[in-house]
Formats: sequence, structure tokens, C-alpha cells
Amino acid sequence: MTKRRSRFFNVLFVSMLLTLTIALGGCAGDKEAEDSSQVATTSATEAENSGTSHITIGIPQDLDSLDPNIATAAGTQEILFNVYEGLYKPDVDGNLIPAVASDCAISEDGKVYTFTLRDGVKFHNGNPVTVEDVVYSMNKCADDGTGQPLVSAFSNVESVEATDDKTVVITLIEENKDFLAILSATETCIVPADVEDLETTPVGTGPYKIVSRSLQENVELEKFDEYWGEPANIEEVTIKILADADSILMNLQGGAVDLVERVTSTQASELGDQFNVLEGSMNLVQALYLNNAVEPFNNEKVRQALSYAINKQEILDFVADGKGTPIASSMFPAFGKYYMEELNDVYTNDVDKAKELLAEAGYPDGFTFTIRVPSNYQQHVDTATVLAEQLKQIGVTANIELIEWQTWLDDVYKQKNYEATIVGLDASTLTAGAMLKRFTSTAHNNFTNYNNTDYDKAYESALVAKTDEEATQYYKECEKILCETAANVYIQDLVQFVAINKKYAGYEFYPFYVMDIAKLYAVE
Amino acid sequence: MKYIGKKLGAMLVTLLLISFLVFLAFNMIPGDPAQARLGTEVTPERLEALREEMGLNKPLIERYLRWLVSFVQGDFGDSYKYNMPVADMISSKLPITIIMALISFVIMVVVSLPLGIYTAKHNGKRIDRVITVINQVMMAVPHFFLGIIITYVLGLVLKLFTPGNYVSYEKDFGAFLSYIIYPCIAIAIPKIAISVKMLKSSCVEEAKKDYVRTAYSKGNNTSKVLYRHVLRNAMIPVVTLWGMTLADMLVGSIVIEQVFNVPGIGRILLTSISYRDYPVVQAIIVLIATVVIVTNFCVDIIYQMIDPRISVQES
Repeated sequence: MTKRRSRFFNVLFVSMLLTLTIALGGCAGDKEAEDSSQVATTSATEAENSGTSHITIGIPQDLDSLDPNIATAAGTQEILFNVYEGLYKPDVDGNLIPAVASDCAISEDGKVYTFTLRDGVKFHNGNPVTVEDVVYSMNKCADDGTGQPLVSAFSNVESVEATDDKTVVITLIEENKDFLAILSATETCIVPADVEDLETTPVGTGPYKIVSRSLQENVELEKFDEYWGEPANIEEVTIKILADADSILMNLQGGAVDLVERVTSTQASELGDQFNVLEGSMNLVQALYLNNAVEPFNNEKVRQALSYAINKQEILDFVADGKGTPIASSMFPAFGKYYMEELNDVYTNDVDKAKELLAEAGYPDGFTFTIRVPSNYQQHVDTATVLAEQLKQIGVTANIELIEWQTWLDDVYKQKNYEATIVGLDASTLTAGAMLKRFTSTAHNNFTNYNNTDYDKAYESALVAKTDEEATQYYKECEKILCETAANVYIQDLVQFVAINKKYAGYEFYPFYVMDIAKLYAVE
Repeated sequence: MKYIGKKLGAMLVTLLLISFLVFLAFNMIPGDPAQARLGTEVTPERLEALREEMGLNKPLIERYLRWLVSFVQGDFGDSYKYNMPVADMISSKLPITIIMALISFVIMVVVSLPLGIYTAKHNGKRIDRVITVINQVMMAVPHFFLGIIITYVLGLVLKLFTPGNYVSYEKDFGAFLSYIIYPCIAIAIPKIAISVKMLKSSCVEEAKKDYVRTAYSKGNNTSKVLYRHVLRNAMIPVVTLWGMTLADMLVGSIVIEQVFNVPGIGRILLTSISYRDYPVVQAIIVLIATVVIVTNFCVDIIYQMIDPRISVQES
């Protein structure tokens, strides 16, 4: 009895002691925490006084890689744009300007590109950029290590040679008018030949260098002092990952984040006085993409009927308070010369006409189909909801199925196992091909199964056209065919709201997925 | 000893089963890790080459066994998404989640112990009824909702902390703690409610027993009876509850991490699932399962030590 009791006491005593120790430890920790947070605030103010400028930018997902050749997500390339540069790079209007190269001469037949290296371009590690680095970078694009070209356009590259210590010549097998645009993308950037692993030691030539990275937490950038071009304004930049969309508002309002590039119209309206909300365009084609190979969407009349049945303005009103640009083909306004405003008049909201076409197609009583929408894009989900409601007017029932993004990628995009889906397609480069090639019957990424011989012919003609005007003419014909045959039910180019703290300014909209951090500056 | 051996055996079988189920589940849901890494613009040839390189074209059982063998040898494999060893990824994030769970645990014990005794002492009085009502409400509120309320009230209105302004523990441990304390409160509150309720009812139950009457008859006052006699016995079920709560808090912090933008194990787990990053998900799930099973195992043992009357039947 006594033995049992003493054992019980021992255990109780030890566990209480343990609790107490932990409790005291916890208290001590908290006190320490208070003290050092005070230190942290003072040092922050000191930093402000000494003039080190800093901005925190919130992004919705972590960078998939710091290696520009491995990174594929548009959200990653948007950031890496500030770190890496190609021989050429796009400016704010989408024009190509020389970057690591100072000049490029293209031969008469369009096959030989002669680049002259810019003087005084340095990598973030201090080494100058040499022709060897350029040749190395280009060869990397041509072979990803498995024998496959990393950048598919490089299957068309015959050779890359350095003719002297300032000149690199790239020879193509066949002419490609878009080649310079391809060279200005982040994935074809110039990287040092002597750095093995860019993932752990990212080295580029851009206005910012990466100083540290913590997975799923942040990426720290620092101004590169030896940048060849116009230097960045803000010294230090923290790219913070805000994985939970619901926390964006609180992070902005609380002051943890100064800039978020994509907020919803609801969030924008709740932000308050300390923020500016800039309006731009997302530069994508949002549409009800249809699987042209399945019933009833293999019938052109059915597709046209749907195009007549929808009211785009109503969708815009619901999704973003009436903001956004209605579009009618696979091209958005930022493309300038390729964009055809007039196609918007082809389908006006006309329910009677839609019903008529449905009856002609053999569906006088309508039909039922499923729209598979990736659930992580609220604007597409909202669009689907309005659209389904509008289609009821012509007796068509659209069921909405929300799916996860990876399921969309695998099931819808790759396996083409769907009837209809709502997403936004953007352009990886500002070339017409980036938008239009996928609708040719042989394209590997033709997920809508669109098959039209006229379209294929027009696209082919554009590729071999002698002049730029002629090519543009053919591309426009492609757009017209997509619109008239109602390849998909085209909806809009979504509006983009950028939330930026009034302490900062200088945000510029690019015609594609790019955030030019170097242009941002602190307002006095 | 025999008991421990038996428990250990059962533990291993459970872990094996869990890891296989996770593996199986990932094969059933749509999504291709190779595609996830290469994006939408990749050519089918490159995709196929990467699938081959990642070993995705091999049969399920072969892949599972390969994974199992290297896992047992301590090699957790490489993350598909980040191209880096899973062990490195987890080891830098694990301390965050563990510290959060421990702080929540301490808060729970420190608050619920006196509060439970207090309500037991004032059983049936007005103050007890008030606390009971608050308790019921707190028990019913999910911790992520509490998290949102805390962020709003303490963060945005009272400005005690900046929501989302998490500081890495490697950078500034003090600032880390002063931020992490708020999610910990959110995790702790529902647990406090449960343990107060349990402690109180356990005390009240004990107080009805015969030995208490004897204690009073010896001339002890209420406090003496409560602290010297009742509490000791009443603590037994509460200690069990606390043990299980610790494991629960580890899992609970995974959810709360999202609300407070804390990049711990939970964040890694969730993003890895959406990227079909099997090796990472496998490692984390097995890790969590191990923690839960081991904690329960320890609770069993402690339980036996506190009260030898409860022994496991070894028939």
C-alpha cells in the first residue's frame, strides 16, 4: 500500500514539475519575445531613417523553382522576370528591346541571327557575361538532359556558335518570325556557364538578385548594384507567399503586405483609404471552352446557339462590377494589331435566334451538359454560375462541377475528358502563335479538339507569309474562323485589380504575366 | 515488457497500412506529378521523358516497395516539386509546428488546471454556471474560426500583432514567439474548455465517494480535502485527455497555420497534395501518424503507472 502510494506521488510530482518547467519556460520565452520584438521595431525604424527602402509583395503560390529552366508556372516567371534576362526582353508595351545583347542582325532569309553582346553586363556573382555563357544557355534550351528540347521552338535551331568574344550566331533550320520573341522569355534567359545548380544559387543579370528563400514562406530580393540598365528604386523586396486567399485582405489591412497583384472586386472595395486600387487587364481569353469532339458540341449550330444565348455584360456585372472587356475570339486587346474588335458584333444576345439554331441542330427541347471548372479560380466559378442561369432560357441545363486544379490539368487538359470548361488562356509570349496554334488540328495542346481545315490552312499561310502585314492578315482570318464557327463560347478578358499601399507607386501593367518590381518606388 | 512488444508490433503494422493507403489514394485521384511540374505548354515527348525519369510508369507495387525500402533506410526521397530532399524540407518546417503544439499545450494546462479546480469548488453556484456556459460555447467553436476572430479582434482592431507578419524562427526567435502565440491561443481555447469540463466533473464525481466523507470527519476543511485527496484521483482521466490532446494539437496546428499564414508542416502538406508531390505527402503523413500513435502509446503507459489497478489483461 505504502509502496503504491509513493509511486503514485512520484509520478504526480514529476509530471507537475514538468508542467511547471514548461510553463515557466513558456513565460520566459514570451517575455523575451516582447523585448526582442521591441528591438525589431526599433531596428526597422532605424532602417527607414537610414533610407533603406523595402516593400513586401504578396503572391498566391510559392515559386515552383528558382531555376528559370525548370520553373513553368506563370506566377513564377512573373517574379523571375526581375532576376533573369534574355538576349532580348519585352518592354511595358510588349515591344522587344535588347537586353544582354545590344544588337541583333537577322539575315535576309530569316534563318541566321547574329547577336552582339552588350558591354559591361555582369552576373549577380560579379562575373562579366561572356559568349561562352550565352552559348551554354542556348544549348541548355535545346536539350533538357533527356535529349528533348527544353523550349520546343529550339527543335528548329541548327547551331549556336560564338564567332568572336562579342558575337554569337544562332542558325535556324527553318525561318521563324517569332524567334526573337521566344528568346525574350524568362525560360531562354542567359545564365552563367560555371554555376551548376541555379536552384540553390540563382544567378542572373536582372535588376534584382535573390538573397534567400524559405519554402512556402518568402523569397528575399535585393537590388543589384551593378545592373547594366536603369537601376531599381527599392533596395529590398520580400516576396511573401499568401497561400490562403481569405487571408489576403487581413494581410494588406494589417500592413504585413504592401502589394497584391490580383485581388477580387469585393476585396478591392473593402481595402480602405491606405490603398490605391489600380485597374488593368488580366490579358487572357476567358471562355466556355467546348470539347468539339463530343455530342452535341461537334455540331456547329449548337455552339453558335450557346454563343447567342449568353449575355456577356451580365456576366461582367456579376463577376467584377461590370469591369472587363468582352471578347469574341481567341485574342485579347493587348495584342494590338492582331486583335479584332469588330468580331464582338457577330453574336449579339439573342435568345430567339439561339432557340432557332438549337431546333435546326435537332435539339428543340435543349440538352444537359456539365461544365468542369477549376475551383481555385473564383472568377471562373462565378462566371459558370451566371452562364448556367442564362442557358436555362434556351432550355439547356448546364451542371457545374468544381474540380481541383491538378484534376483539371490531368483530366480536362491532358486526357480531354470533359464536355465544357471555363478557364482563361493567356499567352506565354506576345506572338499570335501563342494564342492560335493550339486550335490547329495537329497541335499537341489542342484540348478543345477543334478541327477545321480552313483554319489549319490559314494558320499555315501565316507562318510562311513573306511580310508581317500578310501574316497579320492570315492570323486575323484564323480569329474570324474561330469566331464564326463558334469554336468556343468566348466571354471576356478579365479585369485585374492591383492593390498597392499608398506608400508606394510605379506599378505598370504589362501585356502579359510580368511584374516589373524595378519600376516600383516609395512615395515620400 | 511483453505488453510493450505487442504494442510496438501493432504500431508498425498500422504505419505500414497507413503509408500504403496514402500511396493507393494518390493513384486513384486524377493528377500527374510530371505534368504538375512541367505545366501546360510542355510537349508530350518531354512529359513522357520526365515520367520515365521519375519512375511513374512502373507498376504500383514496385513503386511502393521501392519507396518503402528507401524510407526504412532513412531516405525519404526528393520532392517532385522542389527537386530537393524531402528530409531537408520537413526538418526546416517541423520545429514551427512542434513549437506551436507545445506552446498551445502549456497554455491549456496552465489555464485549465486552476479554472477546473475553481469551478469544481464552486459547483452549482452562479459563477460556475457562467463558466459552464462559456465553456460550452468555446467547445463548439472550431479553432480555425477562433483563429479568424483572433486575427480580426486582436490583430486588426486592437493591433496587438500584424496578421500575416510571421517571422521565421531562424531569423528572430523572439519575434517568432510573439507572433506564434496567437495561433496557439486559437488552438488552446477549445481544448481548455474540454479539460475544464472534464476536470470539474471528475472532481465532483470523486467528491461523492466515501473516502471524502472520512477525510472531512478527520477535521479537514474543503480546500484540504480537495487538494490533498480529491484532486489526486480526479487527475487520472484528465492526464489521459491531455496526452491525447498533445497529438491532436499537432494535427490541429496544420489547419490553424493556414489562417495565420504560418509556413509550417501543414502548409507544406496541403500544397504538396495539390501538386501531387507524393514523396513529401507520404513522409509527412507517416510522420504525423507516428507521432499520434506514439503519444497514445505513452499515454497508455503513463496511465498504468499512475494507477496500477488499471493493468492490461495479458490473457
